[in-house]
Amino acid sequence: MDAKLKETILNPIFKGNPISVLVLGICSSLAVTVELKGACVMALSVIIVTGLSSLVCSLIRKTIPNRVRIVIQLTVVAMMVILVDQVLKAFAYGIDKQLSVYIGLIITNCIVMGRIEAFALGNKPIPSLLDGLMNGVGYGMILVIVGFFRELLGSGTLFGFPVLKAIGYTNNGLVILPPMALIFLGCIIWVQRSIQKDLQEK
Amino acid sequence: MNTNNNVYTVVYTTVVCVLVAAILAFVSGSLKNRQEANIKAETISQILTAAQFDTESLKSNDDIINFYKENISMAYTVNANGNEVSCYVTEDANICNISELKKANYSVVDPAKADEIDIPVYAFKNGVTVLAIYGAGLWGPIWGYVALEPDFKTVKGAYFDHASETPGLGGKIKDDPAFRAKFVGKVVDFDDEAPLSIIKGIAPDAKANAVDAISGATMTSNGLSKAIVSWVNAYKGYILSQQAVAREPQGEVMPLAVEESENINE
Repeated sequence: MDAKLKETILNPIFKGNPISVLVLGICSSLAVTVELKGACVMALSVIIVTGLSSLVCSLIRKTIPNRVRIVIQLTVVAMMVILVDQVLKAFAYGIDKQLSVYIGLIITNCIVMGRIEAFALGNKPIPSLLDGLMNGVGYGMILVIVGFFRELLGSGTLFGFPVLKAIGYTNNGLVILPPMALIFLGCIIWVQRSIQKDLQEK
Repeated sequence: MNTNNNVYTVVYTTVVCVLVAAILAFVSGSLKNRQEANIKAETISQILTAAQFDTESLKSNDDIINFYKENISMAYTVNANGNEVSCYVTEDANICNISELKKANYSVVDPAKADEIDIPVYAFKNGVTVLAIYGAGLWGPIWGYVALEPDFKTVKGAYFDHASETPGLGGKIKDDPAFRAKFVGKVVDFDDEAPLSIIKGIAPDAKANAVDAISGATMTSNGLSKAIVSWVNAYKGYILSQQAVAREPQGEVMPLAVEESENINE
């Protein structure tokens, strides 16, 4: 059991990373990695939402009718996202303004639904919660890496502070545009597959 | 229990829907007052930022509202002729909120409803006047405030906000102080079809009534430009009458001058 729990926690970080191995959540990783700050905020909110939705779905997993399970999962995820949004609006308005569109984007994130389908419906609540949280972390990690390079090379800043201006760097406009995020993601997947030989296709 | 039979499925989904709806309605209802207070304070802080007041030091909602009450001279709405329609109670820091701006936008962009124009003006004690704008960005509504100097020609400052523009691209209308700084010192010129606008690739000093667009955010820039043009045109009557007053140190001389010119026409 202990080894299995350890596997649940560590697997999503590298060996079974939701973006670079499962190729889930690509759309949002294109959209929110223009700035490092946005990437961090999105990562944090996805961690919370995947964790909580996996927990709730796992709690009610035995009662869900099989034929409508996707609809029920969607309802739970949507409710979580709206609740997080509402609470932030009332008690941390500044943070909610920063999240702006991201919070709505979480509903469309395949990782949330994917992990509920693949893990939470067949496992106990605590491992499901951990699985949700760690997949969020795995996702967020890639987001922050891509966001780091895109903001650094595209705008010459990090968290809005100019860093490359001093050495006379000219901003690369291409890096700001969505296609460049795909190229960065491709590079990350390339690096991972050259380390992890079993992922390579024959 | 067989969770796959039809009756169970229907009952289960109904219960889940009602339950989720009830939770959301309860949460939304109980947090509404707090949320509205936050939104009002934020709108006021945007108006203050557009008028180039230092809002950095104002931390809490109460600070913002008190600062506004201290500095506002008059807040009211005007019609297309520039006449006052209704007045906001400045003691309560009443303002035109976003949903009212949205409603006003229909009469601003629809020529058939032009005589219903009813749009807000915030006149501050230091002579700066803030006008509102509202329009459509790429993904959702955008709105903002343009502040004019006491001469009602020069732009004192501007602030824009949006519901869902792309962060880092269209989102720069709000997040990038350098973008709104471009508006400072520009002039509103009604001889031009677009009295104040955003043009792609224009040099900073090439045109006195236009600023450069945001690269990578053409749709948002165009939407904002369109919003500014239509709203500034809606304010035309007000701005022109105030310009006339500003040129004439004794405000009451102006009506006479207008009458004279009418007589000549007759």
